[in-house]
Amino acid sequence: MNKHSKIFFTAILSQLLAIAAFAQAEKTDLSLSISYFNSNNHVQYLVAHAKSKIDGKFQMIPNINLSFYIATEDAANLLGKAVTNDKGDALLFIPPTAKDEWKKSAKVSFIIVSQKTKDFDEAKGNVEITKAKIQIDTAADRKITATLMELKDTVWTPVKAIDVKIAVKRLDADLNVAETPTYATDSLGVASADFKRDSLPGDSKGNLTLIAKVEDNDVYGNLSAEKIVPWGKSIKYYTEFDKRTLFARRGKSPLWLELLAYSIVVAVWGVLIYLFGQIKKLKQLGVN
Amino acid sequence: MESLAKQQIIEDLLPQKFGKAGKIWVGILLAFCALGFVAYCLQLKNGLVVTAMRDYVSWGIYISNFVFFVAISLVGSLITAVLRLTQAKWSTPLTRIAEIIAVSAITFASIIIVVDMGRPDRFYNLFLHGRLQSPIVWDVIVITTYFFVSILLLYFPLLPDMAIMMKHKDVTGMPWLNKMYTFLGSFWKNTAGQIHISEKAINILSITIIPVAFAIHTVTSWLFATTYRPGWDSTNFGAYFISGAFLVGAGAVVVAMYVFRRSYKLENYIKDEHFDKMGKVLVLLALLYLYFNVNEFLVPAFKMKKSEEEHLMGLFTGEFAIVFWFAISTAMLIPILILITKKGRKPFPAFIAGILVVIGSWFKRYLIVTPTLLHPFLPMTDVPEVYKHYFPTWQEWSIALGSLAGALLIITIFARIFPIIPIQETITEIEEHEQA
Repeated sequence: MNKHSKIFFTAILSQLLAIAAFAQAEKTDLSLSISYFNSNNHVQYLVAHAKSKIDGKFQMIPNINLSFYIATEDAANLLGKAVTNDKGDALLFIPPTAKDEWKKSAKVSFIIVSQKTKDFDEAKGNVEITKAKIQIDTAADRKITATLMELKDTVWTPVKAIDVKIAVKRLDADLNVAETPTYATDSLGVASADFKRDSLPGDSKGNLTLIAKVEDNDVYGNLSAEKIVPWGKSIKYYTEFDKRTLFARRGKSPLWLELLAYSIVVAVWGVLIYLFGQIKKLKQLGVN
Repeated sequence: MESLAKQQIIEDLLPQKFGKAGKIWVGILLAFCALGFVAYCLQLKNGLVVTAMRDYVSWGIYISNFVFFVAISLVGSLITAVLRLTQAKWSTPLTRIAEIIAVSAITFASIIIVVDMGRPDRFYNLFLHGRLQSPIVWDVIVITTYFFVSILLLYFPLLPDMAIMMKHKDVTGMPWLNKMYTFLGSFWKNTAGQIHISEKAINILSITIIPVAFAIHTVTSWLFATTYRPGWDSTNFGAYFISGAFLVGAGAVVVAMYVFRRSYKLENYIKDEHFDKMGKVLVLLALLYLYFNVNEFLVPAFKMKKSEEEHLMGLFTGEFAIVFWFAISTAMLIPILILITKKGRKPFPAFIAGILVVIGSWFKRYLIVTPTLLHPFLPMTDVPEVYKHYFPTWQEWSIALGSLAGALLIITIFARIFPIIPIQETITEIEEHEQA
């Protein structure tokens, strides 16, 4: 290799290294966070969120492979894996196999780890929660109480001064039971609200679903409890499905259409059958 | 006509054997039918992929042909029923021509709709599982009904002629024909009772066929108008279709009148006055159809809604402009200009005008069906380029031409077997005239 060749290859190599270094510098940081959910005190799940600052704005990152761990990032403590959706979220139900680790302490931590991709380096996120539960109950005069308890060592202890949302569960959102959306718990861990929604449409029996929620709490995560009460207005839902309409399936045409159509067909074909009969009559006259 | 003896009328109007020209004509028609049959066999074997119809243009020249056939079949109700009920005696020589055109057209309308089906073996499902709410089911019912009404309207006036033909077996020269006449009309003895029943039946049919004929083409128009698409979303469609149908039907009768008059030397029966009167009818119908066309295009063009703009401009100045203006000119404007003068209503110019009406009307049907399908409300995206245009394949042309040849063949064969002008009615009319 002559001198010029050496210079040429050195230049190429340095360029390639520069491009590689630039490409590496292009990688942005992936921010991972995790939320804990406890629904009705028996369905527990984790939701991981992946986002990154792109062009000066945080954007949700889809298609990130995440591994979920409990307590420590060991293979033995792996809860499962999930991939973030278009909103940058990945959901994982806590499996029964985590029972032993779960029971070890009143406080539990969860860790998520993302795999390295061409756009992002490996990232981690974690959350520590204190085990807690919420109960919802009703009393006379449509009074609703929600009781929040946390686990201290092995004893369930009331938690005070925590905002609890008490609402009626609707199709897409929660509806306040009165003017105030949240109620603080007292020293007994109880938050009380009066139900002031008269004639709220319920199901066919007038049932409504009440819900008590602790949302995005730094210590307890997201807790919720539901109770069905017959405080709503009974609604018979009317649906056009499978009724006699112009757009219904075969055999479900409107009666007026059937009457009209069949009357016309019978009338016209009655005339035709009569005329075919006249041909027979003509034949008889010809024979006679 | 007064000078013609009864025997002379019978001799003139009895069916005649095909001459050389007739045989060539039948041969040509058979060749087209055979080509259409071969193309249809290929379509059956390979599926509708042999056509140019794709996701967007799912109705091509088959459905255009169907609408054309249904339209032309309406002439039976116009000439036979309307003119009969209005006591227009001059139309007598034309009634059978009109009725056989109606029968042959409605027969091939039924056939071509099956041809358009990708799986004709599943046709019976339309009867087993059809929805009464669907205009397609109404169309099936009304086409079947119209077919039988037309057959009866052809058959009843034919009975007295059948008896005449049996008396002249030697003229037909074919034993199987004589057997058919015997089977169809040997019972006709021309008694007062039979004549009374026959006339009553014809009157009932003449009344019945009018609403059925209106229904058949209105329902056909609703196949389009009940679909929300540019060009079809119209409350004008029923009347628009019916006026157009009467026009093309009348045009076809004028053409047939000229051909039969020339071929069978029927100048004493299909006279210049018939062309004159039919010419006036054609002008009236062309003006009526033109009026509906103005309504159909001018009003949407005045508003020029964005969703319809592409479709309308495609017709006025775009890719369909040549066909559009050709159809408007040949189906309406030029025939009006020809037939508006007395000279223009002479047999030959009227024949030319009739041909123009028929050809223009076929293209008009094509313009009703296809351009709309190429201009959906939502833009066509992610489809191959061929989906955005439509030009029929040779199989489609062959089948369409085969069906047209088939319809003409039925008329030709009918004229060979039966008198194309009612013999008995002509004799009766002359006798009544002489007595008066």
